[in-house]
Amino acid sequence: MIPFTQYVRGLAGDDDLVRLDGPFEVPVDVLAAEALRASGPTLRFQRPTGIDLVSGVFSGPDQTQHREARPWSRLALGLGLEPDATLVDLLETISTLGPTGGNPEPTYAGQAASGTDIDVQDLQLPQGETDMWPAVTLGVASVSTADGTHWAPVHGSVVGGDTLRVRVPDALSSLVADGTTMTIALGVPPAAITTAYLLAVTEQTTTPIQSCGVTGTVPLVPTNGGLVPSATEVVIETTVVDRQPDFRSDRREGWEYVVVSGPLSLSVESVRATDTPVIPISPVGRPLADDIQLTGLATAATLYHRVNNYWGISPVEWVMLPAEAELGICFVASDVLYGGFEWQLANILFSFSSLFDTVVIVDEDVPPQDFGRVLADVWLKSHPARDWTFSEPDAPAATRPHYRTDNETGSRLYVNAAWDPRWKETYIAPRVTFQNSFPGNVRDVARALWDESDTGPEDTTESGASR
Amino acid sequence: MAVNSLREYLDLLDTTGWLRSFDQPVSWDLEASAATMLANIRDGPVPVFESIAGIETESKLVGDPYRGPQTRPWDHFAQALGFPSGLSGCTYYDRVIARLNRTKAPRTVASHRAPCKETVRTGTEVDLLSFPWPYIHEGDGGRYSNHHTIVAPDPDTEWGTWSSHRMMIHDSSQASLLLLAGEQVPNRYYYDYEPRGEPMPVAVVIGAEPTVESTADMWIPTGRSEAAFAGGLKNAPVDLVQCETNDLYVPATAELVLEGHVRPDDRLDEGPFGDYFGYMNGPRRSMPVFEVDAITHRHEPRLPFCVEGSGVGYGQNSTSTLRLVAAGPDATVGLRAAGFDVAMAVPWRFTSRTVWVIATDRPYPGYLHELANFIFTTWGMLHIDFFVFVDAAVDPLDPRAVLTTIALEADPDADFHQFGVERMPKVPLNIYQTPDEKGSADVGTSKAKTAKAYIDATTDGDATDTTATAETRKRAQERLVEAGLDAARFDRLDEREGKSQ
Repeated sequence: MIPFTQYVRGLAGDDDLVRLDGPFEVPVDVLAAEALRASGPTLRFQRPTGIDLVSGVFSGPDQTQHREARPWSRLALGLGLEPDATLVDLLETISTLGPTGGNPEPTYAGQAASGTDIDVQDLQLPQGETDMWPAVTLGVASVSTADGTHWAPVHGSVVGGDTLRVRVPDALSSLVADGTTMTIALGVPPAAITTAYLLAVTEQTTTPIQSCGVTGTVPLVPTNGGLVPSATEVVIETTVVDRQPDFRSDRREGWEYVVVSGPLSLSVESVRATDTPVIPISPVGRPLADDIQLTGLATAATLYHRVNNYWGISPVEWVMLPAEAELGICFVASDVLYGGFEWQLANILFSFSSLFDTVVIVDEDVPPQDFGRVLADVWLKSHPARDWTFSEPDAPAATRPHYRTDNETGSRLYVNAAWDPRWKETYIAPRVTFQNSFPGNVRDVARALWDESDTGPEDTTESGASR
Repeated sequence: MAVNSLREYLDLLDTTGWLRSFDQPVSWDLEASAATMLANIRDGPVPVFESIAGIETESKLVGDPYRGPQTRPWDHFAQALGFPSGLSGCTYYDRVIARLNRTKAPRTVASHRAPCKETVRTGTEVDLLSFPWPYIHEGDGGRYSNHHTIVAPDPDTEWGTWSSHRMMIHDSSQASLLLLAGEQVPNRYYYDYEPRGEPMPVAVVIGAEPTVESTADMWIPTGRSEAAFAGGLKNAPVDLVQCETNDLYVPATAELVLEGHVRPDDRLDEGPFGDYFGYMNGPRRSMPVFEVDAITHRHEPRLPFCVEGSGVGYGQNSTSTLRLVAAGPDATVGLRAAGFDVAMAVPWRFTSRTVWVIATDRPYPGYLHELANFIFTTWGMLHIDFFVFVDAAVDPLDPRAVLTTIALEADPDADFHQFGVERMPKVPLNIYQTPDEKGSADVGTSKAKTAKAYIDATTDGDATDTTATAETRKRAQERLVEAGLDAARFDRLDEREGKSQ
């Protein structure tokens, strides 16, 4: 288990974090959003109060810009993997945090956030240029019931020194009543917030974390609400005072497109923090925001697990809901087993997720880190008439796109950007790559030419085998 | 001030650290192209191979000279036009469009004032094989010249028509030209010269100055002079000089000019070749024969070549870059001239010929259909399969923004529009065609017709990010640059003009 502060130190150690000193004349979440758009590093906003904010910790570079980009590498680091872990390694690791990940005995440790009580406004959470109140993002809500502790992502606002208005999944709301205590944890270990997102997007928020793999990974501590990670940076203990306040944020965190959520008004009873807390924030509603990336990866992990257990074999190489497309489209790399398999695969994905109604299928040898190739194959391998397949217009509208918000039905689309399995091997055009287009001795000469040069380009790995 | 020759352009790259000369002998047989592909993949300097192994030649090979940086592919070319580095893509397009709207007629110079005539070879002195044409990919049908401008006769213009068609070298005086019917020069040959049994005079211009090289990639309307557009782009007339053995005029500062003619009713093998789609393209076809009558060149000619295929996906090469930096602005000019109020027309970054993104307003219902129909039946007929229309406020040079609009705004039920399903002509190069569909028809077009489509990814006017003002975003970007982030990645800092990256 990696505590959040250790995770942030690790990012700094990898030269993937830039420190900015206050005062911040530009809203912090605008700075965070611009850094993400520019494929920048994690930002640490250092403030004289000693309460720092960090952005971009769960997101990563824009894959449409960087050849070597692996936008999941930061989260991989946070979950104890190597930063160059494959997407599939990460998806499988995420899956082990949830209910399918076994039922280990929880471990308990002392609460790190044991500092003197402070006012929730003292946290100085970021306030966007057009926001009325400071925003709570990337929070984990914890509620205790007779079954155990339940976690869910929480997103909301600080509307006063002792009042929060938040949105949580309806499944969590259903577990509380007026007067129920709820704890909001900010700056939890990456494994913990990933679990909260995973439970939300799989609509398993009512499953107690004692039945999830995360309990074998993250040491816990009891609070008035429920168990939270002992290494949490800020613990806000609250009481539910209104289950139906008139509140709706203009922006929605990524998970709010997946599950039905509702508002709660919370009375803040106590705020405890570590000595020098570090709080993650997400520029919600902006491109590539952390909450979008977390939602996309948690959803991809779920889909990957489900489709690969569907046929008795595992033909799917990877699944991705890229943050670059704000979760409105699903890419899947798969062995196309037989003619028509691509139709089955697309429709299973539609069945398992309501986020998107467009699926793109690429060949199984297309690596996810080579997203540029994915974005090329869409138009190169798919015939404009034969490989763009639309359903009858009687499908429910997906939740993420902007069109068809009036509950009308419409069509779904899958794009078959993989070779047709009925083609003879001789029909398959070989790819032009450094590996394919030159024999070994010539490649050695080329490498030697550049490597002997001080001004030679940086070495990178060219990905992608050929067919 | 724009540069006047390939050499001046290479010098410019050198001063900015984007050129790397290799003194050690490098073979034309795959080695030069392998080293170039590595640079293309790694976003490294442009390689110049000063010494060619195994051949006595004063020629030098230059690998993909017009490849731009992956983050700002237009940046090198902007400097070649005399613009500062660091322009945003939108500003670059605006400036180029302004130049293209002010065409300048070329001027002719005498032979003795034309650098491309420093050496003149005719008759028995003609020897194509004395030049180090590269063998570019293992599996290619032969050695190629694939980065040049072809000058052909045009009865409608004084200076002929310019285009680009790859050429496979066969022997000391013959090459096969990939002439695919449907394009202007091939049509002229197949439907005009060859039926009359007449040879068509042609000049292959290698290493022309940047504005000429880019103009050959543009979609200049018939009857208009590419030379004048090149002059507009350069903001100065392009110098032309008459050929030694025919009436054609060629750019005077070119490195090498092959004068000759295409023989009627004669064919030689051409291909397969690792093509701009990023895949090896076959089958081997019979293509018209280019017979070389004269060769003129500068001393120590620089022969640029393109490692086709490396400009797909993240990588850039010369042709993918030139499409983005020249064909895109030119198409924007053309669409506006046709009465369409488009903000920008830009090739999709990852497959620069198959898909274009067009940022436009929609002034009336049916506008996008009309616009797509116009393009498909004129410029985009053969190569382009898709247009993606986005709001005028969306930057079509930003692939993330375009991908997002496709995902969030293009309703599968209402926004995907196919044109004449499998009724439209197609060059036989796309890999989704089976070998049978590609065929080997006499005039080089595909046997199978194809479909074209457009995607309406425009909004109903309400999807732009309004959570921060443009000024706030700009101040944020300035703050981040102060903190050490790379300024080249920010789109709101046009004031950086004049500063080096």
